[in-house]
Amino acid sequence: MAKVELKAKQNTEIEDRSSLKGTMASVLFLLLFIIVSWLGVYYLFVDRF
Amino acid sequence: MINNAKAIVKVDSKDAKLSMAHFFVAFGALAIGGLMGLLQTLVRSGKFELPFGIGYYQILTAHGVLMGLVLTTFFIMGFQYAAVSRTAGPHSSAARRTGWTGFWMMTAGTLMSGTMILLNEASVLYTFYAPLKAHWIFYLGLTFVVVGSWVDGIAQIMTYAKWRKNHPGVPSPLLSFMAVINTVLWIVATLGVAATVLFQLLPWSLGLVDTVDVLVSRTLFWYFGHPLVYFWLLPAYMCWYAVVPKIIGGKIFSDSLARLSFILFLLFSIPVGFHHQLTEPGIDPAWKFFQVILTFMVVIPSLMTAFSLFATFERYGRSKGATGILGWFKVLPWNDARFIVPFIGMAAFIPAGAGGIINASNQMDQVVHNTIWVTGHFHLTAATSVILTFFGISYWLIPHLTGRKLTKKMNKLGIIQAWVWFIGMAFMSGSMHIQGLLGGPRRSSFSTYGDSKQALEWIPYQIAQAVGGTILFIGIILVLVIFINLAFFAPKGDEEFPVGEAENSEERAPMVFENWKLWLGILTALILFAYTIPFIDIIQNAPPGSKGFRTW
Ligand code: HEM
Ligand SMILES: [Cu+2]
Repeated sequence: MAKVELKAKQNTEIEDRSSLKGTMASVLFLLLFIIVSWLGVYYLFVDRF
Repeated sequence: MINNAKAIVKVDSKDAKLSMAHFFVAFGALAIGGLMGLLQTLVRSGKFELPFGIGYYQILTAHGVLMGLVLTTFFIMGFQYAAVSRTAGPHSSAARRTGWTGFWMMTAGTLMSGTMILLNEASVLYTFYAPLKAHWIFYLGLTFVVVGSWVDGIAQIMTYAKWRKNHPGVPSPLLSFMAVINTVLWIVATLGVAATVLFQLLPWSLGLVDTVDVLVSRTLFWYFGHPLVYFWLLPAYMCWYAVVPKIIGGKIFSDSLARLSFILFLLFSIPVGFHHQLTEPGIDPAWKFFQVILTFMVVIPSLMTAFSLFATFERYGRSKGATGILGWFKVLPWNDARFIVPFIGMAAFIPAGAGGIINASNQMDQVVHNTIWVTGHFHLTAATSVILTFFGISYWLIPHLTGRKLTKKMNKLGIIQAWVWFIGMAFMSGSMHIQGLLGGPRRSSFSTYGDSKQALEWIPYQIAQAVGGTILFIGIILVLVIFINLAFFAPKGDEEFPVGEAENSEERAPMVFENWKLWLGILTALILFAYTIPFIDIIQNAPPGSKGFRTW
């Protein structure tokens, strides 16, 4: 038995102009980059000394 | 709100002259210093030898002094002088006279020191490490540069003070405030280098005393040497915080945040010189530890800066209708040299900053100390982030000061210049970082160290550095072409001096930020705490002084 969908769920959400999600993502990326580089050289230190 | 987008506020034409005088010396230093840089990379590749008995360490000293001390100091003083004139009003004739006096002192000093390097009497590198001993005229010349820069800086402080007096209870214009912070940082920092030159190196090179206390001299130098790099960096941050938002058509994320970060840089960049001396015997490890902690405090204003720049970009992008997490990135004005040139500088600061955190970590410093990694690091910070931002500033400031326009053609050439620089530096700095991790030393001419296996591994990286250095030198020629065009040949017109506004026009920076007694008090306390006990210790337990050496 077919059931007719009356209304497709609509996405009416409008992105907030003052959102700083991208900024959050960017600083998290920075943090990650710093940690990875640091650990890389730390590994060399542990390996050599 | 009035729309004053059209009203171009000009730097007073008499002030413009003094700024331009600074820029001529700065770009002259860039031309000669750049050639030295190219020669260094060629020599280090092992495929080229210097003619006429010119020594490697002679050109290395010329490069370090011209790029690290002359280019930077002249550009910064010229830029800040103009920024104060633009935002706090024209300098008085007394301030202008002061500025010119400082400028001529600095120029005379540069000529004195430069001559001594040319005559091969001063191959002691720009950090003039005792017990290497140069001709006294070299040290006297640098004294003139430093004292001249104080006089030059006082001109900015005079105009700032006049503004404050005429506007009681109102925060000063952001760019003027930042310029004064940097000038104060510079004056406090250079006290250290002035002390070692006046009380140690000059009397010693004049033959008045026979020996020098090496550790005292180095400690005084590095008391200056770290804030030196912040003195280079803060004018770039002035552009990032207060100029770039206007260029892209956005707003400064927060005026107060910008001011607070500058104050934190002032406080935390001086009492930290020991992080350059971590491997130095004779300094108590406990005090090294303390200064390393203070060093890491600089991470706070650095990340505040990163956050606020991202936020400015994102807010602007979303106001243009960008969506998604990174949609704002695409709508930035990528065809505007005034934006993209400093932007490449900002991007370079990501690996540069990460490298700095590694350098400052005591144990890891043992992996990289005195290797060419360090040179790779500061060619990202100073020779990319800072210098590209200075180039980006020049592209609007020079025509603004000379009453000309940045043409479409020059705009394009500026963008090409920045990419050339980026590519050249990726080669040069990238291979310096790797070679450094493999143990290759900095400040060393070509050598295979008796064909040792390890040294032979470095050679491909040294060749990559020569490739990068050649590309960079093309970048230097391009920027000189643009500079000469903007100074003499570009069509007459009005080029804007962009000054950003805060997003929230109601926001008023707390007056406590301008309380100099408070900040100078905290700064003095931090410096005294970080240095007094170890310094007494260094003097009381000093080994016999060293006589001078001439290794060249
Ligand atoms: C054409 C562009 C450039 C090239 C090819 C270049 C190349 C080099 C090389 C190969 C060294 C290290 C040599 C060694 O340690 O033996 C060096 C050192 C240095 N460079 Fe550059 N560089 C360039 C631009 C710059 C710029 C724009 C600045 C500053 C804003 C700068 C500042 C310095 C400083 C301060 C040193 C340290 C000198 C010393 O260790 O005594 N360089 N450069
Ligand atoms: Cu440092």
